[in-house]
Amino acid sequence: MMIPKQVATILLCLLLIGGGASANGEQRTVPYYRSGAFNAPILGGWANESNANLAQFELAEAQATIRTSLVSAADGLAAARGELSDLLGLDINQPVYDEKVNLADGTWRVLVFDLDEATTASVMTRRNETDFAVITFVERNPAARTAMLAITQADDSWDEADPEIALAAEALAGIGLEQLDSAEVTDMPSGSWRVFRQPALTVMGMVFGNESYVALQEGEAGELAALADAWNRTLLGFFITPDNSLYLALGLAVTFAILGTLVLGHFWRLRSLEKDLTLLNELGEAADA
Amino acid sequence: MPTQAGLEPNPQPRLLRALTAVTALGFLATLYLGLFAAGTDIEQGQIQRIFYIHMPSFFGAFTAFGGTVIGGILYLARKQDAWDRIALAGVEVGLAFSLINLLTGAIWARPIWNTWWTWDPRLTSAAVMCLIYAAYLMLRAGIDDISRKRNFMSVYGIFSFVSVLTTLFIIRIVPETIHPVIVGASPQNAQGSFEATSGVFMALAPSMLLWLTLMPITLMWHRYRLETRKEAIDRLKFQALSD
Repeated sequence: MMIPKQVATILLCLLLIGGGASANGEQRTVPYYRSGAFNAPILGGWANESNANLAQFELAEAQATIRTSLVSAADGLAAARGELSDLLGLDINQPVYDEKVNLADGTWRVLVFDLDEATTASVMTRRNETDFAVITFVERNPAARTAMLAITQADDSWDEADPEIALAAEALAGIGLEQLDSAEVTDMPSGSWRVFRQPALTVMGMVFGNESYVALQEGEAGELAALADAWNRTLLGFFITPDNSLYLALGLAVTFAILGTLVLGHFWRLRSLEKDLTLLNELGEAADA
Repeated sequence: MPTQAGLEPNPQPRLLRALTAVTALGFLATLYLGLFAAGTDIEQGQIQRIFYIHMPSFFGAFTAFGGTVIGGILYLARKQDAWDRIALAGVEVGLAFSLINLLTGAIWARPIWNTWWTWDPRLTSAAVMCLIYAAYLMLRAGIDDISRKRNFMSVYGIFSFVSVLTTLFIIRIVPETIHPVIVGASPQNAQGSFEATSGVFMALAPSMLLWLTLMPITLMWHRYRLETRKEAIDRLKFQALSD
């Protein structure tokens, strides 16, 4: 019969061999742009025009640009206008859509600008300490007007973005959902999108978290699904904390602190009990004497 | 008056010593696997490694609280004090593990969700579970009559397990959750999930095995022995006071 020490050694070896066998390697292959201040996914099939300060991707056939950056500004609107001015060299007018949405990582301001006959821009901004995170989608196709929105769900439908699709169609195209053809579903890397169509209008929406993400395109340019997917992957893949090692260290510290308190508390109580026992013995001996 | 000779010496059994050694070394080994051997998640970065503690610690709590249920049922059936001590040990160890689970989850959420806390169904049920078991310890300390205390806490410990099951299954039942599922499909609203690739599993599986079995059993055994010792010394104190 094996003694416990041998059993222990075998168990430990099994644990290490089993775990160490193939625990190596990257767990994701999605490439990321890392500026040191924020991260953004690199969009496959888009031309990468990023530099040290911003992530920027261009899809020539759709005349679309997606840019992610951190900028200093007085507020979200100023950040959006400054970023668009820098990108397009245009005077930026007032937005045609200006709402807020509470995403899991904070409150974002959602803005849509009709800049000229060819150019439409959708911008999301969120305060990050002293700066603003700005994620910009610009489409310069004269044959289309394309906008991207994130809208907090109005009800608990959770699995369908129809109410928010209707809201976006009404707000940006002045068309009610009943005027659009019935929905079809398109599966893309970012999720399943419900698509409503009319000859000159396509609106599609996807639910993620408590929000619906809606893409709208007036005109016959096409490419909306690919653009919406790229926008959403940028938005959902964006995060500000590029190096979160300190959080990991904090998690480990908390784990050790709780386990340490449990174990040390055990020893402390055992020591107190033994002291009590010693005192009882001394009292007993004193009584005997 | 009884003397120390009247109290049986209580050295640790060899099996417990071996278990303690394996558990301590296993804990360090699984930390190594999670922190160094497993690959870095390219989306979440280093903080994803907290999952090698966060998720197993819940299952460790599950085992410990399961011990409380078994201890409670057998105490009520057989009226043997030992089962009550096992139930108590389960609560103390399980509560510690639950706190690790809750706090490491909050620390993960800060960089990934950009918030320490959100009133998500699973987070809320996990917090309620911790409060229920903390209340177990407070209530237990507040009841003087030993027999009444053991009966009441056995029943309390059995019913408290509902909160553990609720926490475990709530994200499979309630779709309105952003908490990701690691094994199986995440709810549609989940945010911050990552792919459970072979690399993740090979670091997670040993950690799960350790937290699910060795850690709660070893710690509960030590706690059980401490309670046994305490009760014996309390009896001596009572006897001394009576004399």
